[in-house]
Amino acid sequence: MSIVTPPPPDFSPHEEEVPEFNSGTPSRTWYHYLLIVASLVFAAVSVGFIGTIVWNSLPDFAHHTGTLLGGNGWQSPTGPFGGLAMIVGTVETSLVALIIAVVIGLGTSISIVFILPRRFRNIVATLVELLAAVPSVVYGLWGFLVLAPWMLKTVIPWLDKWPFSHELFGNPGQQDGQSLLLASIVLAVMILPTFVAISREVISVVPHDLVEASLSLGATRWQVIRGVVLPTAKIGLFGATFLALARATGETVAVALVAGGVANVQFHLLYPGTSIASWIATEFGEAQGNEISALMALGVLLMLVNFGLSLISRGLVSRQRKVLAVV
Amino acid sequence: MSEINQLVETEETGTNMRDEIRQISDQFRARRQVRSRIMVTLCAIALGATAVPLLLLLYQLFKRGLPVVLHSAFYTQLPQTPTLIAPNATGGVSNAILGTLVLSLYASIMAIPIGVLVGVYLAESDSKLAGGLRVTAQTMAGAPSILMGLFAFSFIVRDLNIGFSALAGSFALAVLMLPVIVISSEIAVRGVPHTLREAGLALGAKPHKVSMKIVLPAAVTGIVTGIILAISRAIGETAPVLLVIGGGYINSWKPLDPVSALPLSIYENAKSEWPSLRTEVWGIALVLVVFVFVLSLSARIWASRKQQAR
Repeated sequence: MSIVTPPPPDFSPHEEEVPEFNSGTPSRTWYHYLLIVASLVFAAVSVGFIGTIVWNSLPDFAHHTGTLLGGNGWQSPTGPFGGLAMIVGTVETSLVALIIAVVIGLGTSISIVFILPRRFRNIVATLVELLAAVPSVVYGLWGFLVLAPWMLKTVIPWLDKWPFSHELFGNPGQQDGQSLLLASIVLAVMILPTFVAISREVISVVPHDLVEASLSLGATRWQVIRGVVLPTAKIGLFGATFLALARATGETVAVALVAGGVANVQFHLLYPGTSIASWIATEFGEAQGNEISALMALGVLLMLVNFGLSLISRGLVSRQRKVLAVV
Repeated sequence: MSEINQLVETEETGTNMRDEIRQISDQFRARRQVRSRIMVTLCAIALGATAVPLLLLLYQLFKRGLPVVLHSAFYTQLPQTPTLIAPNATGGVSNAILGTLVLSLYASIMAIPIGVLVGVYLAESDSKLAGGLRVTAQTMAGAPSILMGLFAFSFIVRDLNIGFSALAGSFALAVLMLPVIVISSEIAVRGVPHTLREAGLALGAKPHKVSMKIVLPAAVTGIVTGIILAISRAIGETAPVLLVIGGGYINSWKPLDPVSALPLSIYENAKSEWPSLRTEVWGIALVLVVFVFVLSLSARIWASRKQQAR
């Protein structure tokens, strides 16, 4: 939704000339002031949003910047409050989820646009968009009550059979199935509809002329996809990827339900861990004083990452628009 | 003469070459087609890999949720904590259903007027303020929802000293909805054909009258669709309300009372030790998903109908 940037401003010359024709009537009426006041309120809310969180995190940055970025371990009432475990957990879960979601999602979008029979296309596209609207807590619930037992019973014993699996994933033994890997899988399932919805749109607006031209030269279906469609849609697909990444890093309750909520730096994905957003959600209820500002500081970190990602993704998508306009 | 000789020569060697080229191209074509078939199959498998878990989720949601939502007590009673004597006494979730309705109502009251007006402003102005606000709205639209919770907590709960309340929760949701409404309203207003606007101006109407009486009514479909989608996104959000609404166990619509919400009770029941609560949670999730689906489907259907009518 947020990826749809409005077209560049296109003002008809009349609009600016008319007030001159009606010289004598003020161009600024109460209506204009109403619009401007609303805009100022919105600006104030946005500034307040960023400012409040940053302001409340300042005590933590003043005292514990080092431990926030590099410290391990979170001692609840007094500190130190180390953020490394959450940062590492966020990076791990969202990257693994992103890889799964992009590989599967790209194939899915291609099949929706080029392989499915025409009459199913709209149904599947609508279904995907509906699934993108399912609240994340429902995905978390499903991961917690359905996937976690399944991980314990099926996936972990199966992974155990492979060589090096203990070195790669660790061997958690008897636990309740919550792990960073499960969080990644749930995140992947959750961001798939979002990624597919956008990448399908990006792929389906590749001009038909290009596709037909290359088909007429005798290219096979895959050659058309690989040689024409994907390169044309490349930038937009990167935009969709960054958007999915932004969504994965910001996800809160789904991860809080399935990751296990343990603040340890953990590179073995089968052990429980946590992420920045879910740590804020689970710890905030009992937090006091310094801990609140430490959680706010984590929030600032999350905000920086998220804003950066969404700026990149928006830039890419608008560049894609220009590419297609040239074609 | 020499040219003719050349032609003859090329024709002779040409037939040989043609055969050779055909052979090679046949080989290549076979290889290309096999490769294409493999890759297309892989794509189809990816489609299956997307569909299976998502359909499984929906199936389990309905299978486990339907038995729960068919009891009227689920909608009318307050939640109870099961005890050892009555392990299945879970009550209902009337407080969460009412809470979600109340939260989205207050959030809409706060977000819709400002959001629509800002959207109209962005569509009609090219000032620096408009440009900055557009970037702000687009960035805020993707911000993690937990940050809205932190904002509402610091500002409403602590600084204004209002406490954990429906007001704080709906403020967080309003901040979440605002950028979505702004963006969709701007797109809707920009989508109004210029001819309409010009016709109004040509008849001598003042620019603000044209904007209010012609452009806004023409854009209303898109604006309402955006509002409905924003609401459907807001009612599913757990993280912001988790921090600020207080999780009250009463039926209340007063802004200053602590309330509960459907996503919040999903989160809390899922973590509960009681099997009966863990069964009930599927019912709550089903109600929430049905809410969201009805909202976004009706927005979609309405928008496409209006488009056809035009």
